[in-house]
Amino acid sequence: MSRSQSQVLRMLAMVPYLQGNDGVPVHDVAQEFGVTPKQIRDDLKLLMFTGVGEFAGELIDVDLTALEDDGVVHIRDAEFMSRPLRISAQEGAALIVALRTLRASGAGEELIVIDSALSKLESAMGESVNAPVDVVVDQVDAEIHHTIVRALTEGRRLTMTYATETRDERSQRDVDPRRVFTERGKLYLEAWCLTAEDLRFFRLDRIIAAEVAQESAQDHDAAPRDVSGGMFTVGEQTPYALVELHPGAHWMTEYYPVELVERDDQGVWTAKLFGADWGWLRRLVLRNAGSVAVLEPEHLRTQVVETARSALGAYYEGEPVD
Amino acid sequence: MAARKTERLMNLIFLLLVSKQYLSKSQIRESISDYRTARSVDSFDRMFERDKEDLRELGITVDFGSHDPLFGDEQGYRISRDAAELADVELTREEAAVVGLATQVWEHAGLAAESTTALVKLKSIGVDVDTSVLRMAEPRLSTDEPAFDAIWDAATRRVPISFVYARPGQQASERHLQPWGIVSWRDRWYVGGFDLDREAPRLFRVSRVVGDVEPIGPAGDYEVPEGTDMRKVARSLFEPEPEQTALLRVRPGRGQSLRREAVRVEPADDFDTVEVRFHSARRLAAEIASYGTDVVAVSPSEVRSAVIEHLNAAIDGSLGAIG
Repeated sequence: MSRSQSQVLRMLAMVPYLQGNDGVPVHDVAQEFGVTPKQIRDDLKLLMFTGVGEFAGELIDVDLTALEDDGVVHIRDAEFMSRPLRISAQEGAALIVALRTLRASGAGEELIVIDSALSKLESAMGESVNAPVDVVVDQVDAEIHHTIVRALTEGRRLTMTYATETRDERSQRDVDPRRVFTERGKLYLEAWCLTAEDLRFFRLDRIIAAEVAQESAQDHDAAPRDVSGGMFTVGEQTPYALVELHPGAHWMTEYYPVELVERDDQGVWTAKLFGADWGWLRRLVLRNAGSVAVLEPEHLRTQVVETARSALGAYYEGEPVD
Repeated sequence: MAARKTERLMNLIFLLLVSKQYLSKSQIRESISDYRTARSVDSFDRMFERDKEDLRELGITVDFGSHDPLFGDEQGYRISRDAAELADVELTREEAAVVGLATQVWEHAGLAAESTTALVKLKSIGVDVDTSVLRMAEPRLSTDEPAFDAIWDAATRRVPISFVYARPGQQASERHLQPWGIVSWRDRWYVGGFDLDREAPRLFRVSRVVGDVEPIGPAGDYEVPEGTDMRKVARSLFEPEPEQTALLRVRPGRGQSLRREAVRVEPADDFDTVEVRFHSARRLAAEIASYGTDVVAVSPSEVRSAVIEHLNAAIDGSLGAIG
């Protein structure tokens, strides 16, 4: 959509909104419309040149003194448009896809509310709205998901069994839930872990059992961690392996933190593969054996070979040798 | 330029919206300064046609007709208020909160603003929005892909497109597609549709689109086949339903990913017996091998030999790598 088009949509929505909220601060308007205050000021200055005609009283009047001095908005002579236009196809598509996303990550009674909101909006928008967009969130156990939502809604503590992937172990934890969010299409719980005495993220599909406890969740004074740059960020201390990626493993460059070092003409790429710890890296290499091989460090290379050798042992014990 | 166009479009909408009569082209030309000052009738015509097209794209329908053709009324234009204005929407407190929370989902500036504008319209007709009445998951939709906007636009307006597509490590090639829809999976966008080169439905990862997306036809150029299910078009993304069962020996407390999927676990001192369902023996073997000595495949033999092969590949690979 062109810039003019989106500006027209916004300004059209602004006319009835401003009449219903006389004297609203520019900053609030900006927040409502999800744009900068400067954009709103530009919109308002343009609005003064529009109306049902070109004479005084026909053009929309914006109180510039109030806008400049007090940062608040008063408009007049806009009574001809006191009701917003229908939700446009573009606005509708954006909103409906957002609702579908909420639905894909919701659980329990929430789904009923989301569905009824969706169907009411869809019928209000009519057939013009075409949103051929599907949002897939990895499914988790519905009962566990529901339990977590319930603890969150009721503000209660949660007792759960959690499987840690990197150390490949299970642990029992009491946590005070703060929020559920998605990252890379997976659901996570942010909670204060009473065992670790720290804020932790738990992947919902790795929660094996969960129960709402009697105690209320407490408010722990911890700043929320910023995960906007992803859950996993590569820093100077992040362990990495220098690996060979054969064609069958080229997809890994799109899915894991990888830094390409070199490509040869046989399709073998040399790359740095970053991981949370050495155990995770070892498992990743073993899982993709045949198309990934470790060059460095030596200890990882040895570990991969030794682990594979010992594992193979189990298949030959007590079996007839040919 | 952009501001001037916005101003003209706004005035055209207001003019047509408040008019009870159909307005003739000359009446419209008289009323709006850019039209009046157009150099010729032709250049006014072109400008007016483009503006009408803009209104159509904005979803504002301009009616063309006359009140009484029998009396020779001139044909003209207007916007029907009833059809154009937002009708009442009755939302419960919870439903309104859900819509409010939905506007926080998009991390894409344009789509975030559009969903927000929709919410403002609802508020303007009296819908009360208090998001604090609900605690829900806070999903986010991000769009890092440079081609996302063009592809979203093409899919929602049914515009056939061409683009250069490059898988990692492969030659880039030009593709021609009628987009049926788009799918977000694990924070990545995919576009599916009818591939005009392969003459079959195909799925493309939006991040692999290189450079500009070019329209190769007008909006609404094709129909999406009735009953198209994007999840079916995108089925290559998802693991097929498992149809076989494997028996594994797993050290107590180990092999978490396999235990999560287990249909049966029989605990024992040294090794638990774990039954899992699977689709691909190779995939399961890779997962088993990743646990080293903690997991051993018992049956079927197809999985056992796949694990053995996989472990041998691990040894050969990492030994051979230095050679």
